Amino acid sequence: MTVSIKAHSVGLRYRILRPLTLRPKDKRLLKTGGTISGSGRRQHVQALEDVSFELSAGDRLGLVGSNGAGKTTLLKMLYGIMEPTSGTLSISGRVDALFNINLGFRPEATGRRNIELRGLINGWTRRQIEEAMPEIIEFSELGDFIDMPFKSYSQGMAARLAFSVATTLTPEILLMDEWIGAGDAAFQKKAGERMNALTGQAGIVVLASHNDKLIQRVCNKVLVLEKGRVKKFAPLEKKRA
Amino acid sequence: MTLKEVLKGAVEEIASGFRRYPVWVALAHESIGDQHRRTTLGPLWLVLNYFLFAGAFVVVFGHRNEIENFPAYVATGLYVWLLMSEAINTAVPLFRREANYIKGTTLPLFVYVMRLAMQTVIRGAYSGAGWIVLMLFLVQPSLEQWLMAFAGLAVIVLALPAVITIFALLGAFFPDFEFITSNLVRVGMFLTPIFWIHGNDGGLRQMLYEYNPFTHFLAIVRQPIISGELPVMELLLCLGISAFAWVFAFFLLGVLRKKVVFVV
Repeated sequence: MTVSIKAHSVGLRYRILRPLTLRPKDKRLLKTGGTISGSGRRQHVQALEDVSFELSAGDRLGLVGSNGAGKTTLLKMLYGIMEPTSGTLSISGRVDALFNINLGFRPEATGRRNIELRGLINGWTRRQIEEAMPEIIEFSELGDFIDMPFKSYSQGMAARLAFSVATTLTPEILLMDEWIGAGDAAFQKKAGERMNALTGQAGIVVLASHNDKLIQRVCNKVLVLEKGRVKKFAPLEKKRA
Repeated sequence: MTLKEVLKGAVEEIASGFRRYPVWVALAHESIGDQHRRTTLGPLWLVLNYFLFAGAFVVVFGHRNEIENFPAYVATGLYVWLLMSEAINTAVPLFRREANYIKGTTLPLFVYVMRLAMQTVIRGAYSGAGWIVLMLFLVQPSLEQWLMAFAGLAVIVLALPAVITIFALLGAFFPDFEFITSNLVRVGMFLTPIFWIHGNDGGLRQMLYEYNPFTHFLAIVRQPIISGELPVMELLLCLGISAFAWVFAFFLLGVLRKKVVFVV
């Protein structure tokens, strides 16, 4: 099967649920992404509108735009967390996402048990978990701590474990909300190498980032979003060093 | 959204939820373990809690009570009530509690439903051990009585995922629902015939008895133990209520499943 992503006039509109309240209206909401329409308790957010692009095997797409432009929403839609409310989106290939990599680690469970649980949540089979376990433990450099409760880990150890679990299996389509890294300088280097390998091996990569240099280095196409609409979708011209 | 889309969505949601059973089985066990990990008695606290609760009810309401075998009547009614009320109370905030997962993973909503159903069953099994001990001590039911009572419990367990789905979805879309439900459950404990019985004299008391659905769910477990009879009418009624709950849950899930991510 060839990996591909085809988005045609994709849009996402949802209603904001607001409880009845006597408090003054919270204007902070207006600073969030997308366009807000309606008033009172019947307000809708148009988070994405008329978004079209096509990606095929080998494409590395950089998602660019200011905060609230719709980058994360588009990533979540590609991952399947949200469904478009208009247009069509067809995806061929196994999609995996590297956002919320710290999600779901249980403080009372051991590192080993947390790897099992994360694997199950990610949709891995028992066999895949068993096969990946030694590599995850080795890469995370946790040693004997792997059988200690997660709550006993330092922040760096927890980050190393989360990174190792999240980057072990290579997906066909990889979605990233910013480049991820973890641990001290030595581990950062190792993590960087793994991220490079991961983006090299995946069929399609979609990377949302504010880091122009990173987008230049990793991507061959760029999609600029502004208030939920596509401002530009084009091949990326590599800047000369 | 057409009816076909609603049905298709609900089938997909429930089927993929069942397919991901290793996730909800593992998470339910972890949650039960976490709740009791640092305690000396562990999940045996659930048995002790039940004994204390049942004992208090028997002592407080048993004085000059004319109900036949009142301790067994109360202990069984209380066991079933606690099982159902706990499922309802914990179901209402379910999706808001799991908001990070819902917004960060592609796990079907039904995984969270089944996880809570599994947790309720595990917790119910612990307090159920206490109930069995009490019944052996108070009634010494025959094998036939046990089988009939467990058939009643099975009907309740089968209805649990549907009930949890309904309450969790309503709780996600109507935040006030949590307070409404917790108040109703608190009041419901006294409006449900856990420690009282109607006297066939009509009036409000008899209406509360007849029209309260919980009455019948209590009866399908309690009557076999107390009187040794299978309450056929109540059993059929409970099966009907459960079937209706499943149809309603199915419909709600089909309509609302993709909207939950925006409201939690």
